[in-house]
Amino acid sequence: MSNYIKRFSAFDRVVHWVLAVAFFVLVFSGLGLFAHTFFNYFDFFGGPEQGILAHKIAGIVFLITSVLLFFAHARETCRFDSDDGKWIGACGGYLKRGGKEIPQGKFNAGQKLFALFSIVAAVVLGLTGFVIWDPTAMDRGLTQFSLMLHGLFFVLFMMGAVVHIYLATIGNPGTADGMLWGYVRKVWAKKHASKWYKEVAGKDV
Amino acid sequence: MTRKAFMIDTSRCTACRSCQVACKQWNKLPADAEVNRGSYENPAQLTPHLYNKIEFVEKGDGQDFQWLFFNKRCLHCGEAGCIKVCPSAGALYRTAEGLVGFDQEKCISCNYCVNGCPFDVPRYDANNKVTKCHGCFDRVAAGLQPACVKACPTASLKFGDRDKLIAEAKAGGKRIYGEQALGGLNAMYAMDGTPQDYNLAENPSIPQSIFLWKDVIKPLGILGFWGSVGAAMLHYVTVGPKQLEDDIDDQGGE
Repeated sequence: MSNYIKRFSAFDRVVHWVLAVAFFVLVFSGLGLFAHTFFNYFDFFGGPEQGILAHKIAGIVFLITSVLLFFAHARETCRFDSDDGKWIGACGGYLKRGGKEIPQGKFNAGQKLFALFSIVAAVVLGLTGFVIWDPTAMDRGLTQFSLMLHGLFFVLFMMGAVVHIYLATIGNPGTADGMLWGYVRKVWAKKHASKWYKEVAGKDV
Repeated sequence: MTRKAFMIDTSRCTACRSCQVACKQWNKLPADAEVNRGSYENPAQLTPHLYNKIEFVEKGDGQDFQWLFFNKRCLHCGEAGCIKVCPSAGALYRTAEGLVGFDQEKCISCNYCVNGCPFDVPRYDANNKVTKCHGCFDRVAAGLQPACVKACPTASLKFGDRDKLIAEAKAGGKRIYGEQALGGLNAMYAMDGTPQDYNLAENPSIPQSIFLWKDVIKPLGILGFWGSVGAAMLHYVTVGPKQLEDDIDDQGGE
């Protein structure tokens, strides 16, 4: 019998990785606008003007894929129950070694919060990005406020991305498999998402 | 270097526009084709080829008609919104005399300065690069007067030590526009009337969000990023990852 269980569809995986590539393009093309310290990052794109163009294209891709990914999982990510409360109370068991896992659905409470934060951030970055697309087009105060908000949500999303990447790779061995080729180990599912495992395997853990 | 400035005495201006012409000559700027808009004011706005212009404020009509003239240009703010928002260090910069110069080679065509300026001054030329009055920093550095000041026949335009110009204007009983605003303008108006009479903002300012971005979010953001990376590494070596037990894939309910 297989040791693996399907977690993400090919659609989920492709959308996620297109989003991830767009994210890194956005980071490296946008840092030069964020602060003088990072101005030389524009060299990756052949110059500032090309970098800004790349930022605009990647921004559209990022917004579209963010919306697609959100709706692909909205049914699970927008639903919280009492186990999620316990999970958040215990900080997901990340503060101490070897604790008992709190039963979770397909996504744990932290992942659900990250999904909701991501869509909010993507929409805010998209809307403010639209305002500053041509900085001379709209009201001065609105444009300056949008530049500030764009920078703020970039910083927040960047910090979220660091935590996301850590927890999805070395922080929780076996997690990345689901997003890389679609399947996770059954032992992974029993540990991290026992309620989901029961549901899809139709069995008690 | 003592801080230099322009003092523009509005009451002395006769709208001869020698300043406009001299500026175009020194900076080798072409003429702009214009249309008759029913006013002697010409052109209506600063353009990429027009770094300073005489603004006509026309008030009343018939017997009560009144013309107010003044020289409009970059006011070389002490705390310049354009420099603050410019992503490319040195594309807009402050000269030793306190003027705001620009370097088209470093301009990245982002248009942030157009939006960052409280006085709607910077313009973009046909190559999509920033232009505006640079205070003739080249002439000033060589000890000369800016071209517009040199050409002004009525001494409406003056250029020199900022403190001296302020003292002179005050001794003449003038109201000074821009002595304190925005870190002190380096092009001030000595006026008889109020800023409103000249359609100037009473309290020109830069949106607070610029400072929030550049002075708060930027440093805290860099700290936040490396803090997150550090926290993740610390977590890995202290609490450690949630390891899976390798040998129990098919146990417990299979």
